[in-house]
Amino acid sequence: MNERKRLSNTFSFSFLLLLSVVFLFPLYLVVINSFKSKFNIISEPFDFPNENTFVGLENYINGINSSGIVGAFIRTAIITIGSVLAIVVFTSMTAWYITRVKSKVNKIIYYLFLFSMIVPFQMVMFTMTDVCYRLGLNSVLGIIPVYLGFGSGLSVFMFSGFVKSLPREIEEAAMIDGCSPIKTFFYVVFPILKPTAITVAILNAMWIWNDFLLPYLLLGSADKTLSVAIQLTMQGAYGAIDWGGFMSMLVLAIIPIVIFYLLCQKYIIKGVIDGAVKG
Amino acid sequence: MEKNIKKYFPAFVLPTFISFTVVFLIPFFMGIYLSFTEFTTVESATWIGFENYIRAFTKDENFLNALWFTIKFTVVSVITINIFAFSLALLLTKALKGTTFFRTVFFMPNLIGGIVLGYIWNLLINAILGVFGFDITYDADYGFWGLVFLLNWQLIGYMMVIYIAGLQNVPRDLKEAAKIDGASSFSILRNITIPMVMPSVTICLFLTLTNSFKLFDQNLALTGGAPARETSMLALDIYNTFYGRIGWQGVGQAKAVVFFLIVAIIAFVQLKITGRKEVES
Amino acid sequence: MASITLNNIKKTYEDGVTVIENLNLEIKDKEFIILVGPSGCGKSTTLRMIAGLEEISDGELKIGDKIVNNVSPKDRDIAMVFQSYALYPHMSVYKNMAFGLKNRKVPKEEIDKKVMAAAKMLDIESYLNRKPRALSGGQRQRVALGRAMVREPSVFLLDEPLSNLDAKLRTEMRSRISMLHKQLGTTFVYVTHDQTEAMTMGDRIVVMKDGVVQQFDTPQMLYNHPKNMFVAGFIGSPQMNFIDCMVKRKGENYFLSFGNYEIVLPNRMNDYLVMYDNKEVVFGVRPEDLSIVKGKDEVNSFDLYVDIAEMTGADYYLYGTFNDKKIIANVPSNNNIKSDKKYKFKIDIDRIHIFDKINERLICD
Repeated sequence: MNERKRLSNTFSFSFLLLLSVVFLFPLYLVVINSFKSKFNIISEPFDFPNENTFVGLENYINGINSSGIVGAFIRTAIITIGSVLAIVVFTSMTAWYITRVKSKVNKIIYYLFLFSMIVPFQMVMFTMTDVCYRLGLNSVLGIIPVYLGFGSGLSVFMFSGFVKSLPREIEEAAMIDGCSPIKTFFYVVFPILKPTAITVAILNAMWIWNDFLLPYLLLGSADKTLSVAIQLTMQGAYGAIDWGGFMSMLVLAIIPIVIFYLLCQKYIIKGVIDGAVKG
Repeated sequence: MEKNIKKYFPAFVLPTFISFTVVFLIPFFMGIYLSFTEFTTVESATWIGFENYIRAFTKDENFLNALWFTIKFTVVSVITINIFAFSLALLLTKALKGTTFFRTVFFMPNLIGGIVLGYIWNLLINAILGVFGFDITYDADYGFWGLVFLLNWQLIGYMMVIYIAGLQNVPRDLKEAAKIDGASSFSILRNITIPMVMPSVTICLFLTLTNSFKLFDQNLALTGGAPARETSMLALDIYNTFYGRIGWQGVGQAKAVVFFLIVAIIAFVQLKITGRKEVES
Repeated sequence: MASITLNNIKKTYEDGVTVIENLNLEIKDKEFIILVGPSGCGKSTTLRMIAGLEEISDGELKIGDKIVNNVSPKDRDIAMVFQSYALYPHMSVYKNMAFGLKNRKVPKEEIDKKVMAAAKMLDIESYLNRKPRALSGGQRQRVALGRAMVREPSVFLLDEPLSNLDAKLRTEMRSRISMLHKQLGTTFVYVTHDQTEAMTMGDRIVVMKDGVVQQFDTPQMLYNHPKNMFVAGFIGSPQMNFIDCMVKRKGENYFLSFGNYEIVLPNRMNDYLVMYDNKEVVFGVRPEDLSIVKGKDEVNSFDLYVDIAEMTGADYYLYGTFNDKKIIANVPSNNNIKSDKKYKFKIDIDRIHIFDKINERLICD
C-alpha cells in the first residue's frame, strides 16, 4: 500500500513537472528568440541562440528605439496607478454610503452598478468614445475618470459586500468620539476595509495594465499604452515586421508583470479568488 | 446616525456616480437608441426601426458565422478548461512536494494581457505549423484550436486556484467518516468531494463561459479573424463592423445589443443557479 | 453632570413599526439607572435615542436643561460602551482611548495624563500598545470602559456591556462598574436583559416590555411591590409562583380559594377586594415565602408533591406541580427533604401579591 502510494506520488510529481515545462515553454520561446537575429526567428524558431544567431541586446535596443515602448510603459504606469487609486478611494466611499444610508435612490444606484457588470464593452464602445471625446477625456489623465466609471461596478459590489459584514457599532463609537462622517470613513472604516481594498486594487490593476481596446479608442497611437503599442507594431507592419524588436517588446511587457506577481503572489491569488467568489 | 451621514451624498457618491453616468449609463442608453438608427456620427442618426437587426442577421453572413464560431469555441473551452483545472487542483491538494511552485507556474499566464498572450501564441503556433509549411491563417480550424489552446493556457491556472480553495473547504472528517464506512477513493471523490465543491464548479463554469464568450484581445492578436474573418468571434466582429465598414455603424450597434442580450441571459441564468444554491446551503 | 428627561418619546421606524410609544422618564443627575426587559422591549432603542444614534420620531429629550433631539451624538457630551465593545481594530489600546480626545483637540500631554489615569484605574496599563484582537474579552471590556471614561462625559451609556463575558468575569465586572460609578460621580444609563445585573447595580430600575415602561422604581420596591404580573415574574430568581384562585368573602374576612385549599387574607386588603368578590384572580408568592410545615391542621397551607429537590448549598430548590402549574419553593437546606414525596407548604400571607386576572395589574399586596 505504502509502496503503491509512493509510486503514484512520484508519477504525479513527474507529470506536474512535465506540465510546468509545457506551461513555461511559450514564455521560454519568446525569451530565447528575443536574443536571436531577426532573420533567424521565423526560420529556426525553436533553436537556442548560437554564435551565429546570438545578437545580444541588439533587439532590445532596436525595439526600444523604434516602438516608443518606454513612453508607453510610463503612460501605462501612470494610468494604472492613477485609476486604481481613484477607484479604491471613490468606490469604497460610495459603497459605504449607499450601504449605510438606506433609501430608494441608493438602492437604485446599487443595482445600476451591479447591472453594469454584465454589459459587454462592445455595447457602449462607440457611444462612450463619442461622449469622452466631447468631454476631452481622451488624454492620459482624462482616461482616469473613465476607468473609474468602468471599474465602479465590480468595486462597489465588492466593497458593499464587506461593509455589510461590518458591525455598525464601531462607526457609531467613532461618531460619539467626535468624528464627522468623512473622518469616520477615513480614520475608522477605511483602515478596516483594507483587505478588500487590496483585492479591489489588484483586480483593477491587472485589468487596466493589460487593457487594450479602451486606451486604443481614446488615446490611439498618440498616447499609446503598452498593449496598444504592441498591437500597433504588428498591425502597422504588414509583414515587414522586425521580429527581433517585437520579441523584445513582448519580453519587456511581461517582465514587470512577472516581478509584480512573484512579489505579491499571495495577495494576487487571494484577490482573484475573492473576486471570483463575489463577482 | 443615518441622518448625519445623509447630507454627505455629494462627497461620497457623486465622484463615482458621475464618472459612471458619463462613461456607462449615458452611452448605454444612447447605444440602444442608435441601434434603431442609421448613423456615421451621433448627430447624423436617422430612425430606421429594426432595419439594423434585420441586416445583421440576413445581409451580413459574418455575424451568424461569428456567433456560431463563438458558441463552438465557448463550449469546447469551458469543458476543456474546467476538466484540466479540476484535475490539477485534485493533484495539487494531495500534499505533494513542490505544490506552491506548481501553483505559481500554472497561475502565471493569467496575469499576462490578452494582446501579449495572443502574440506569444502566434509565435509558438506559427513556429510549429511552420515545420509543415503552413501558418495559423491557412485554415480556420488552426485558428479555432489555437484560441482554445491559448485560453486553456491562460485560464487553467486561474480556475485551478478556485477549485483548490473549494477542495480545501471540504471538511476532512467527512472524508474520514466515508473511509471508515468503507468507501473507495473513487467513491469518496464521486459522493463527497464533488458535491461539496459544486459552488466552486458553478463559479468556474460561469467565469470560463463569460470569459470565452466575450473574448476580444486574444482573438485580435492571435488571428485577427483570418482567414477571411472566419475566426472572428462576436466581439471582434462587432468591432470590425463599427470601424471597418463605413455606413454599417448602426448594424454594429444592433449586433452589440444582441451580444449584450445573450450575455445578460447567461448572467441571469447564473444568478438563478447560484441563488438556488445559496438557499440550499 | 446632568439629568436626563424623556417627554412623550415616540419611535417609529421607516417601515411604520412603532417600537416605543409615549415614553416618559426622569433620570436624576448622578443616578445609576438600569433599563431592563426581555429582548425587543425597546430598551436598547431608548438608550440609542439618548445617545443620538437613533432618531426620535416624536417627543422631547433633554440632557441637563438642553433639548438635544437634533444635536449630533458627538455634541451631546455622552460616552457609550457597546455590547460588542466596538473597539477600533486597527488602533492600539492607547489610541483607542485617546481617539475621542484627539478629535476634540485636547492637548497631547493632557490626553496622555487622562489615558494613563484611566488605564491605571482599570488595570490595563501593561497592554496599552496592543491591538484589541490580542486581548481577552474581559480586557477588551475594560478598554471600552476606559475609552468612555477618559472623555469625562456627563452621561455614561452602557448597552449590555457584560453579556459577552463568562459568568465569573461578569460578577467581577459588575462590582467594578458600580465602583466606577461611585468614583466618577456621573449619570449612568445601563441596558441589560439580566435582572440580576439590574438588581445588583442600579439605583433605580426601568422595567420595560413592548416599548412601555412597566415600573420605574428602586430594586427594593420592584422586588417587594411589583406593580403587575410582568414585573413580578421578571424580577427575582427563581421566579415568583402564580396560582389562579377565587376571592371569597365570609363575614368580615376575605379568602382566596384554590383547589381544596383556602387562605385567609389580612383585613388591610379588604378595601381593595370589594369589587372582586366571587371573581377569579391570581395570587403570587415568591419561592422563599413558602415554608415546609409538619402539623396537620396548619392554616394557609397546601400540599405539594415535590418532583425534584435541588440542593444548592445553603438552600433547597423544590420543584413541584400544582393544578398543572409549576411551583418552586426555596427552603433552607437544614430541612431533610427528598424528591418524589408530598410536603405541606405554608404561605406567608404578609408577602403575597394579588393580581387582576385580566389586566394583570396588582390589586394589593
